[in-house]
Amino acid sequence: MKKLSILLVEDDPLARKVLETELKGHALQSAADAAAGLAKINTGKFDLVFLDLDLGAKDPLAGLRLIAPAASAGAYTVIMSGHDEEEIVSRAYELGCHDFYSKGSETESVAQVLTRFDRHRALPEDEQVFTNRFVTQDPATQTAIAEALKFAASDLPILILGPSGTGKTMLARVLHERSGRKGPFVAVNCAAYQEDLLEAELFGYRKGAFTGADDSRRGRLLEADGGTLFLDEIGSMSLAMQTKLLKAIEEKIFYPLGSDKPEGSSFRVVSATLEDLPELVRAGKLRFDFFQRIHGLTVTLRALRERPDDALPLIAHFMRAGGRRVIFADDAKARLRAHGWPGNVRELKRLVELLAAGAEGMVTAATLGRYLGEARAKAPAAEEDPALTESQYRKAVSQGLSAAVDGLVDAAIARCLAENGGKKTKALKTLKISTRMLYASLERTGKKSP
Amino acid sequence: MNDAALSKLIHDVNSKCASLKSAAALLRGADEKERAEFLKLMKEQARSLLEALDGCA
Repeated sequence: MKKLSILLVEDDPLARKVLETELKGHALQSAADAAAGLAKINTGKFDLVFLDLDLGAKDPLAGLRLIAPAASAGAYTVIMSGHDEEEIVSRAYELGCHDFYSKGSETESVAQVLTRFDRHRALPEDEQVFTNRFVTQDPATQTAIAEALKFAASDLPILILGPSGTGKTMLARVLHERSGRKGPFVAVNCAAYQEDLLEAELFGYRKGAFTGADDSRRGRLLEADGGTLFLDEIGSMSLAMQTKLLKAIEEKIFYPLGSDKPEGSSFRVVSATLEDLPELVRAGKLRFDFFQRIHGLTVTLRALRERPDDALPLIAHFMRAGGRRVIFADDAKARLRAHGWPGNVRELKRLVELLAAGAEGMVTAATLGRYLGEARAKAPAAEEDPALTESQYRKAVSQGLSAAVDGLVDAAIARCLAENGGKKTKALKTLKISTRMLYASLERTGKKSP
Repeated sequence: MNDAALSKLIHDVNSKCASLKSAAALLRGADEKERAEFLKLMKEQARSLLEALDGCA
């Protein structure tokens, strides 16, 4: 490794000596208190700054105040502590620190911090920001994301592969944000629609095109004009639908259902699937020309079980995002790293919600087991069909599907009206529903004006 | 002992023990001079740990 310029701010002489020894060979400067540390940050240029969080009894959190100056000076800023105080560590990340080093840990070493710094430095600046957002320390995943970002601004179609819950939609959204396209990001889950409904959803329809088409409606292809069309679960699309979509993608012209007037739309296609598309091609379930058209660049996101070191940073990330605090004992951390995560990040998020709601104090491996069991039990339902929640499915079983659908319709209309000051025209437009549907709902819920 | 004093004690014990553990791990690979320096600092750390515990007794 290249000789690095490193600043070490640590008030404990023994801890300082330990780190000076471990960082031997680099250009190292040390400071024993916050004031001396700040002076060095302001006058020097450092690749890395190691900051002890506890810089003396007078001001126990002085280390936190040095994070922003160090990070904004361009240094990879690492906070150190002998004990993981989740709340303070969370605050440190919010202030812009890049990494955490647990002093005295038998599993963490300074060498690992330097390796992470090396990976971080290897990425272009905007990708460093992105990988922080994506929360991964896995080299293969970082490389896949970096590769995809290189093509964000091009028109090349991108196919994102990976098991459910690995962040495919999030990556698609970021690709759109980095594309520079002025149009919107329009996501369609192809598995959530029957074939004729998917066609209507994508292409739109004219009034009277089919029974129930009381009004004309713009399709998602038109909505995505100038932006990105994200087709999730693309492997579930029928051959007939693939043919129609292929034509629309290639010619940038399509016909809404019931219309003989062509519509034009220029969109970039990003698609995702957890299925083996070449296998679908071999099985005759996916057109080869359609496959060729959607996989200009293929990005594979790995399952969480293949990148176990990402579990703890991801948990810390979601805890921070929700303003929550849970502390894990060492045996619980080991259990988290060893867990198989069949529901991937979605299961992990579910675990965080359960922990935030129920866990108190330090979580041990024993208490964690119960939460992991619950999170795993909930995750498969979400994984099988993200369009259907567990409670929606239970309602459909207990009340019958029609009643459950009515309930969903009523809830969506009530919320939309509440958010729009009770304006029915606004609700009609926002939810893209017919006046008949609106009034039927108002009648069911007893809100129809006499 | 009040809560604040107890928290400080726990914090001190954790921090000081962490440094002692890390230093002990480096003793084997250190040369004579460096080992002596480490041992001196480790004794000081141990004394300061004892003082922290005494102060709470």
